[in-house]
Amino acid sequence: MIQKKVCMVGVQGTGKTSMVKRFVHSLFSEKYHSTVGVKIDRKVVPVDGAEVTLLLWDIEGRSEESEVPTSYTRGAHAVLYVADGTRRTTFEQLSSLRELVRSTVGDVPSLVALNKADLAEEWALTPSDEASLAGAGVHHVRTSAKSGAGVEDAFHWLAKEVLRAGAARS
Amino acid sequence: MPALPEADTRRAAAPRVDSHGVSHVGKVRARNEDRFAIVALHHAARLLQSNLEDGGVLERLARPMAHVFIVADGVSGLAAGDEASGLAVGTMLEYLSEAANCYQGTDAALEQEFIDRLTAGVERAHGRLVETYGAGRGPATTMTMVTLVWPRAYVVQIGDSRGYFLRQGRIRQFTSDQTMGDLLVDIGSVTEEQAVRRGLYDTLSSAIGSDIAPAVGVVDLEPGDALLLCTDGLTKHVADARVAELLAAARDAESACTALVDDALEEGGRDNVTVVVARFVA
Repeated sequence: MIQKKVCMVGVQGTGKTSMVKRFVHSLFSEKYHSTVGVKIDRKVVPVDGAEVTLLLWDIEGRSEESEVPTSYTRGAHAVLYVADGTRRTTFEQLSSLRELVRSTVGDVPSLVALNKADLAEEWALTPSDEASLAGAGVHHVRTSAKSGAGVEDAFHWLAKEVLRAGAARS
Repeated sequence: MPALPEADTRRAAAPRVDSHGVSHVGKVRARNEDRFAIVALHHAARLLQSNLEDGGVLERLARPMAHVFIVADGVSGLAAGDEASGLAVGTMLEYLSEAANCYQGTDAALEQEFIDRLTAGVERAHGRLVETYGAGRGPATTMTMVTLVWPRAYVVQIGDSRGYFLRQGRIRQFTSDQTMGDLLVDIGSVTEEQAVRRGLYDTLSSAIGSDIAPAVGVVDLEPGDALLLCTDGLTKHVADARVAELLAAARDAESACTALVDDALEEGGRDNVTVVVARFVA
């Protein structure tokens, strides 16, 4: 069985744990619990006739991107960055956060989830924000851990990219 | 034994570990169904003779390569809760000694293998209980275990025995209680008030010997931190802020344990109470 470590990275309160809970357990909690350290979950994902086990390291967020503990990302095969689409600062923190993580794990497949897409009226990002990600070659998906929209797509895209990256190296 | 320079470097910088555990029957229960263990795992290799100039090798080989801290709380009201908690702790220790070679490295794949083995150990303990008493008919137990390969604490938890660490006066709980109350409130099926009224916080959603859903995690510790594992005989009586106060004030792990248990007893001691404290002395 192929196993790949995927790190969930983002500042505090962006919905990393909720995304994992939705993807692995098909549940959503309205109650906020801040993660301490790392919670590890797993899910088997079918990819092009094969199966890959995603080991999901849900890493605690901090208020400042520079304080997000990157020691936990060591050995990651992929990174899923999560920003809260209703809090513009969490989007603005992405760039330096990505640099920080990249200095630990190198160039591994990654994706940006713009989470809380169900809160349309509070959405704080503009079309040009998303265009800027696309322009920089960053794959991104609007997600809602609450409704489930985009969540499966995000993890499946990463699983596929991780396998493709592995095949390219071998 | 594989050469693992990065792990050796981390262990060389490891602080001294001052640990202690206390388990008390409490003031109401007739039997103590809590169990705990503190284990230092050492290298199988001992340097007998060498002309190495690096004297640090000797010191590193003499130090434990890992510490294991476990608490387990046999479910009361069921027969042989103490047997369940004892079997769970014993099985985990036995299993860890078999898996000892797994955590000598910092390679991510080896690390994952070790994490997988922790959950496999829980499944073995669960299997033994079910084999002995029959599925769903026998005793059950919680279990919270930390395997510390400095500075990384690998956590596996089933039930509502908790893990905390204290850093610079701030206490943080790194486990989440696995009770029906927590589960149902979390998904919005009941309110907290309803959960309290129906006693849902007293019913485990995950227990060895019943249904198991081990929660697995990792916490990186720092010199000066204190680690606490405890059964709910402590936390149902002593608030987190008071726990932090007692941990911070204690001169060593033993006096911290005594102070915590004394507080739980003074507040009623309605349940067995067990605490394991480890201080990482900078």
